[in-house]
Amino acid sequence: MTVYVYSITAADHPLDLTGLDTVGPAPAVLRSLDAGPLAAVVSDAPAELRPKRRDLTAHQGVQERLMADGTVLPLRFGLTAPDDDAVRAALDQHREEYLQRLDQLEGCAEYHIKAAVEGDVLLRQILQDSPRARQLNDDIKAGGGSPELPLALGELVAQEILARHQALAAGITEALRPHTRQEQASDPVGNDFLNISFLVDHEHRELFLTAEKGLAAELGADCDVRLYGPLPPYSFV
Amino acid sequence: MVPQGAASVSRSGNTGNLYDVIELILDRGLVIDVFVRVSLVGIEILKIDIRVVVASVDTYLRFAEACNRLDLESGRKAPAQLTDIVGEVTEGGARGKSKGALTGAVEAVTDALHLGDDKEEDEEEEPAPKRTRPTRRPTRRREE
Repeated sequence: MTVYVYSITAADHPLDLTGLDTVGPAPAVLRSLDAGPLAAVVSDAPAELRPKRRDLTAHQGVQERLMADGTVLPLRFGLTAPDDDAVRAALDQHREEYLQRLDQLEGCAEYHIKAAVEGDVLLRQILQDSPRARQLNDDIKAGGGSPELPLALGELVAQEILARHQALAAGITEALRPHTRQEQASDPVGNDFLNISFLVDHEHRELFLTAEKGLAAELGADCDVRLYGPLPPYSFV
Repeated sequence: MVPQGAASVSRSGNTGNLYDVIELILDRGLVIDVFVRVSLVGIEILKIDIRVVVASVDTYLRFAEACNRLDLESGRKAPAQLTDIVGEVTEGGARGKSKGALTGAVEAVTDALHLGDDKEEDEEEEPAPKRTRPTRRPTRRREE
């Protein structure tokens, strides 16, 4: 029977799985498999699995429960093994590696941050800060100018926006970095200029959260900083 | 052990927040090489909306138009300069209150991401607040 694999923990984790949902359209039973010093949390795999909200939520729910009670290595969504024995064999094969990661992640959680800034705010800043942009803008508004003027203004503004996005992203990252163990940035999506995860240990948690609150307050309402956490350490396994 | 609760900023148990952490669940996490990943319809959609600053005539013209439209006099105060912010925060100055970390939580991925292609599922999703952001418009338009 194919099994869906959620997480790896140490065998001495409480592994309280009561009341948790499983992935797939039909309810299944969550269970743990012991393999020496390690354990895996699995359920029988559904015949078909799509990344629907309830499935992602179920996967995430298992990680959060395990994280609340100890240290967890969250697996990527959607991984299956042919049967229980294959899971045990995989744990045996990577035993030292997984034990080491569990040890490294003890007391740590992932915090994920995305941030966006209101476009008009940046445009105003640019027009205020750049005499050339202001001049071009005034010339265009006055009318009768060269058709090259809007292109020149647009190019200047595009460069300035990119530079400001990068500066904001770097500023937020640098302000938070001292309170974190690791970080992993990825390409921002949509309107965002920042998309980053931090690994934060228990000792630095309050400092990190305080720093983030301070940042959000300083950046003001025009800058939309969204913080998520504590999350299972998806980005640091 | 990671204490949960008091300082917890947002939890994915609140489905509205799932969008911003979806890429973590789908694209990160431990991968075991001998395990098979089930076929996930719709999983690649996440990648579509990766931010690209397009250097094109069209983009430039749109930026220029957006600038022309702005009324500088009525503009709100510009946000604090980041150099100041970094200094203040690293000095431990966490003054002021948090602006609410969840603001706009849904919007980033909603436009691009539809979980699966299940109609019933789609209807559950709260629509993202519509915002006009001239600086981003060129990219948006490209997708249409």
